Amino acid sequence: MGALSLSQLIDLVVGGLAIGCVYSLIALGFAMIMRATNIIHFAQGEVMMLGCMCGLTSLWLLPALPLPVVIAVGMASSGLIAVGMELAVYRTLRRRRVPIMNIITATVGMSILCINAARIIWGSEPLRFPELFATTAYDFSGVRISPQLFWIMVMGVAIMGALQFFLKHTPTGLAMQAVAQDHEAAQLMGANLTRMMAYTFAISGMMAGAAGIMLGSMFFAFFEMGFITGLKGFVAATLGGLGSIAGAMLGGILFGLIETFSTVFLSSAYKDGIGMILLIAILLVLPSGLVGLWQKRR
Amino acid sequence: MSAATHGEGLLEVRGVTRRFGGLFAVDAVDLAVRRGSVHGLIGPNGAGKTTLLNLIAGVYRVSSGLLRFAAQDITRHSTAKRARAGIRRTFQNLKLFGEMTALENVAIGLHAQTHAGFFDAVLSTPRHRREERSITDRSMAVLHFVGLAGLAQARADSLAYGHRRLLEIARAIVARPALLLLDEPAAGLNVTEAAHVSDLIARIRDDGTTVVLVEHHMDVVMRVSDEITVLNYGRRLAHGTPAQIQEDPVVIEAYLGRAGETDRAQA
Amino acid sequence: MAEAQVTAAAHRGGHRRGSVHAAALLVMAALIALPWIEPDKFALHVLSLIAIASIAAMGLQVLLGYSGQLSIGQAAFYGIGAYTSALLTAKLGLPFPFALIGAGIAAAIASLLMVPITRLTGAYLAVATLGFSIIVYLFIKNEEWLTGGSYGFIGIPRAELFGYVLRDPRSSYYLNVGVAAIVYFVFARIEGSRFGRAINAIRQDADAARASGIRVTLLKSECFVIAAFVAGLAGSLYAHEVRYLAPNDFTFWKSIEILIMVVIGGVGSLAGAILGAAVVVGLPEYLRAIGDYRMLVFGAILIATMLFGEGGLAALAATVGRRLYALAMRLILKPTASRKAAP
Repeated sequence: MGALSLSQLIDLVVGGLAIGCVYSLIALGFAMIMRATNIIHFAQGEVMMLGCMCGLTSLWLLPALPLPVVIAVGMASSGLIAVGMELAVYRTLRRRRVPIMNIITATVGMSILCINAARIIWGSEPLRFPELFATTAYDFSGVRISPQLFWIMVMGVAIMGALQFFLKHTPTGLAMQAVAQDHEAAQLMGANLTRMMAYTFAISGMMAGAAGIMLGSMFFAFFEMGFITGLKGFVAATLGGLGSIAGAMLGGILFGLIETFSTVFLSSAYKDGIGMILLIAILLVLPSGLVGLWQKRR
Repeated sequence: MSAATHGEGLLEVRGVTRRFGGLFAVDAVDLAVRRGSVHGLIGPNGAGKTTLLNLIAGVYRVSSGLLRFAAQDITRHSTAKRARAGIRRTFQNLKLFGEMTALENVAIGLHAQTHAGFFDAVLSTPRHRREERSITDRSMAVLHFVGLAGLAQARADSLAYGHRRLLEIARAIVARPALLLLDEPAAGLNVTEAAHVSDLIARIRDDGTTVVLVEHHMDVVMRVSDEITVLNYGRRLAHGTPAQIQEDPVVIEAYLGRAGETDRAQA
Repeated sequence: MAEAQVTAAAHRGGHRRGSVHAAALLVMAALIALPWIEPDKFALHVLSLIAIASIAAMGLQVLLGYSGQLSIGQAAFYGIGAYTSALLTAKLGLPFPFALIGAGIAAAIASLLMVPITRLTGAYLAVATLGFSIIVYLFIKNEEWLTGGSYGFIGIPRAELFGYVLRDPRSSYYLNVGVAAIVYFVFARIEGSRFGRAINAIRQDADAARASGIRVTLLKSECFVIAAFVAGLAGSLYAHEVRYLAPNDFTFWKSIEILIMVVIGGVGSLAGAILGAAVVVGLPEYLRAIGDYRMLVFGAILIATMLFGEGGLAALAATVGRRLYALAMRLILKPTASRKAAP
């Protein structure tokens, strides 16, 4: 605690932004699924964990893989896993029009299934990633930034930018947006609901997969890693206003910054708790999250 | 409790405005509802009738203006507080408790007039048993009044559409409110059913409840209203007896001028 | 005339509930006899844990099934109850009955902190309860001076009633099942009462409830307090059953477990909450034989239950019960019918 030098401050901001990007990517998945189906997808953290594990496995098989390829592997495997969940279980549940609570419980079951499958396949020890980044800090005219955090931020922003472009400027993305807003109207306009839902899960899975590789390379891969990180992603999505894409991005980055700073200035033992207190406080002022700031002005 | 004070003002809406964004849904409207009357509220689609009703019921807060009910300023009161003070309503698009029986739906209307809480229920106190008995009796009496006594034990979501409309009215009047707000009670009903509803409204008024009625069925409005206020584009266009309104050239112009538009909107 | 009949029927409205109560009494009799038929200590211990879990689940049933509020933070109140009871008995030497009630009250008071958030709905409410439970978990884990932190809380005395220490599993079984039964009958009274109708109305349509003069936020908060109180009771019973508490017993998973109990048992059904507790607590014990695969199978069973059991186990049991009844009736009535037709 106490006085903080400028370089320390920059370290904190960069660290917060990097972990915030990870949270944003997970929160995006939550938000997209929430918008399209109204379900809280509790297995989202596990989708992330499985992407991380698959990426790591690809590195074991081919140790020379460059980082972008590893990320692509993580995104692809997580995307496939999420689509698999949707097609195998959630779609059926929705068709049977079961109460939403049942679907949410099924996502919890999915999460239990994934955690325990991962434990059986990859073991219960934390697994270290090989070095993917240069170890000497980048020097931006005196400001030193760790290459790892730098590239995580760059990739996080690039992936989120690509997603925004996809949603706003491609026919498929626009159709997905329409489906999320009004199932029936979108169907009348010719959107294929089943396919759009599968795309939604695929994309939210891919976001989670990218987050998984980033998180794994920052710390380590672990069968339970998806659990608490998934929750934080959910909290970040709520913070942003569930169901809002921009809100989820903002919420994730904000949550990452809050968490990083509170670890230093308050207490590291309570670092998860401070974010929660802040979350509750924000929800009390804005009962529908940060999007309330620019949407509620009616 | 009513007849003695017949004629004096029960509800006063003074300069009430409600904006949504830049749009004035209700714009400086004045309305005086006399105790013991049926006050019709008509106007083309989008004239602000339902918004005004929601402002009186407390669903929306007024942007500016004043609401007085039974000589009290209720402008800042919550919906529940207004309901407890004696303002009850029905909803245009039916809001019944579908999983409950018709009887239980009506019993909800008596919630504010009874007091047994969690512990009364758990201990089955004399108060709890006395109240339950009186709730059942009063609810049955009201179901009989609207003509649904035979369906008391039917689940609300299993009722026919016309019956659901009646059940909403029953729930709203069971507590004998001073003011009843009816939001298109005859919407979607056939001629016979609509006639039954206008008959019912007259009986509710004769029982001592003042009624504000928003309705598109002109025959219903003209038949039961003592006074009518016409809204157009969120403003008060005219006010008078049904006979005066029917001959008012301004009203005729407003309706005829937009008749085609209205038809299309309703289709 | 007809009206009088209908009114009388309306007054009798509770007769279906009566038969449910009769079934509950039958189950109670079986539960009382059970320890004499199956005196295995471990089995009784598992049954105790099921009873304890069912108490917390019934609390959530009131909150979620009746008033429609999704809480994924019940472990917070469970934990507060457990540690309060442990502290009151082990540190202050208070007798168990006081600690039990004290645990409920402590959890209920803590839930008052939640009152401001009851105006949130749906997922926002869920996240806020989650946040609260994470804060409570961190408190338990970090405040070693009070809770023992990660080392756990040891030295919790056995439950004791009127000077009689419940030393063998059979007597603690009776305590846990007894409290669960009381909670069941108390909550069963809510259905069909003014309070029960009002919270049901809030769940189905909060706007219409408001328009009928129901103070929605107040009643929602009451439900939170009630659910927290019984979660506190369950925590206290757990503390004295297991006699060792660790922060990991009160993580988010515990909240999710309680939620799973309610959902697979059938949202809105008290008996369902108990069935759900039996499955969630009992099944992993039975699946112990398959070792590492047990939670994998548990997850799969959970998904399968959601896929095939729409109204939860309670609805499934009711269907099975009805079919059996119909079958029995056919078997009994058929000979009579054919005899009548014969001459």
